Amino acid sequence: MEQKKILIVEDDIVLQKALQEFLSAEGFEIVVASDGEEGILKAKNEEPDLILLDIILPKKDGYAVIREVRAEVSLAGVPIVLLTNLGGLNDVEKALELGATTYLVKADYKLEEVAEKVRGMLVKA
Amino acid sequence: MQKIWQRLADEFNIKKQADELGVKIWQAPSFLFIMMGIIIIFAMTVVYYITKYYDSPEAVIFGESSVVAVLFTIGNFIIKSIEEMARANKAKTEFVSIASHQLKTPLSEINWEIELLLSKNREGLSAKQVEIVDNIAHSNEKMMRLVNDLLDVARIDQGRLALVNEQISFGKIVDNVVLSNVILAESRNVKLSVEIDKDLPKIIADKRRIGVVLDNLISNGIKYTKEYGKVEVTARRGAENVLVCVKDNGVGIPKSQQGNVYQKFFRSDNAIKNQTDGTGLGLYIAKNIIEQSGGKIWFESEENKGTSFWFSLPVAKSLTNA
Repeated sequence: MEQKKILIVEDDIVLQKALQEFLSAEGFEIVVASDGEEGILKAKNEEPDLILLDIILPKKDGYAVIREVRAEVSLAGVPIVLLTNLGGLNDVEKALELGATTYLVKADYKLEEVAEKVRGMLVKA
Repeated sequence: MQKIWQRLADEFNIKKQADELGVKIWQAPSFLFIMMGIIIIFAMTVVYYITKYYDSPEAVIFGESSVVAVLFTIGNFIIKSIEEMARANKAKTEFVSIASHQLKTPLSEINWEIELLLSKNREGLSAKQVEIVDNIAHSNEKMMRLVNDLLDVARIDQGRLALVNEQISFGKIVDNVVLSNVILAESRNVKLSVEIDKDLPKIIADKRRIGVVLDNLISNGIKYTKEYGKVEVTARRGAENVLVCVKDNGVGIPKSQQGNVYQKFFRSDNAIKNQTDGTGLGLYIAKNIIEQSGGKIWFESEENKGTSFWFSLPVAKSLTNA
């Protein structure tokens, strides 16, 4: 199976590094971005198979990233998994309406479960 | 009879009430109400005497209007102080929500770092080191539970608890929760048994939160059961729901306090006396989660005999509309 590319957009460096290390050990190719602008840029240039996206980000927030990614024809079908700690109904609903595929609450998920979810999404997509 | 006097005394103990509410005596609603009553009685007496001894409608009108003015002022104070309390309460809920939210990020970091250490960087760690890291992970999980509980309570209070509903097989959740309570049960020599119907249908609910509800009920059962007691967990199929029971033969809940069980921060007298630790948030959260999931929760309890908690959750209608 070819190696799938995942873009991680997360401004918390510790969480970003943990995700990166775990997922690359699971056999994925990882691209990281630490703010919204970088996220959009890397999504366009790298054309990942899946995007893990934080909502609260510097420069441009997760909502803006979803909008711009979905506006791009080549990226319209890419699964976007929100990484959130919000868990508030409104924030998640807003992101899903904008075109995010699904979401997970960082504090409730083990890295193993994140990897499982990512694998599941890639099979569907 | 003594109780009635006690209540009356409490009712009129304005200083205590003001202290409890954290306001000055003259701001306490009950003080202001008593003042209003006194002024009304005084005003009526004055009006009575004026009409009896002086034939002067102007005096009556003047007297009445000034009394009304005074009453309006006091009424205004009452409204103001109630508004202030409501605002303070809201600010407190928001504070709890923001504070626990901020705590979640470092806790997630610790969780993931520990997992990374144990799963991908385990090489070279001695068994003792792994054990220590495991203990740290366990403590961190406990901390996360507390923060999640606080956050859930704040969300319930703000009326915006968002459930992540999905189709779940209940048996799996029960197994996981029971497994995580085995150590607690063993440490207290409590026998923990599980019986789940084989053909239990799937339900639609929030996986993590239903786990929290079950964990609250099971760990309560273990905590409030004396040594060598037992806790039985059963899950059965009902007509249109799944029926779960957590039964213990522990200290029970005193009859007089059974009405308060679902109140926030409620701890029964015998629970406090036995020095069992707890926040008194578990059942408050459980009730709200179960009811928001379209289910019901109820219990039967007798002091020194034991407590049985039941809850029901609706079965997933079909695979298509899930």
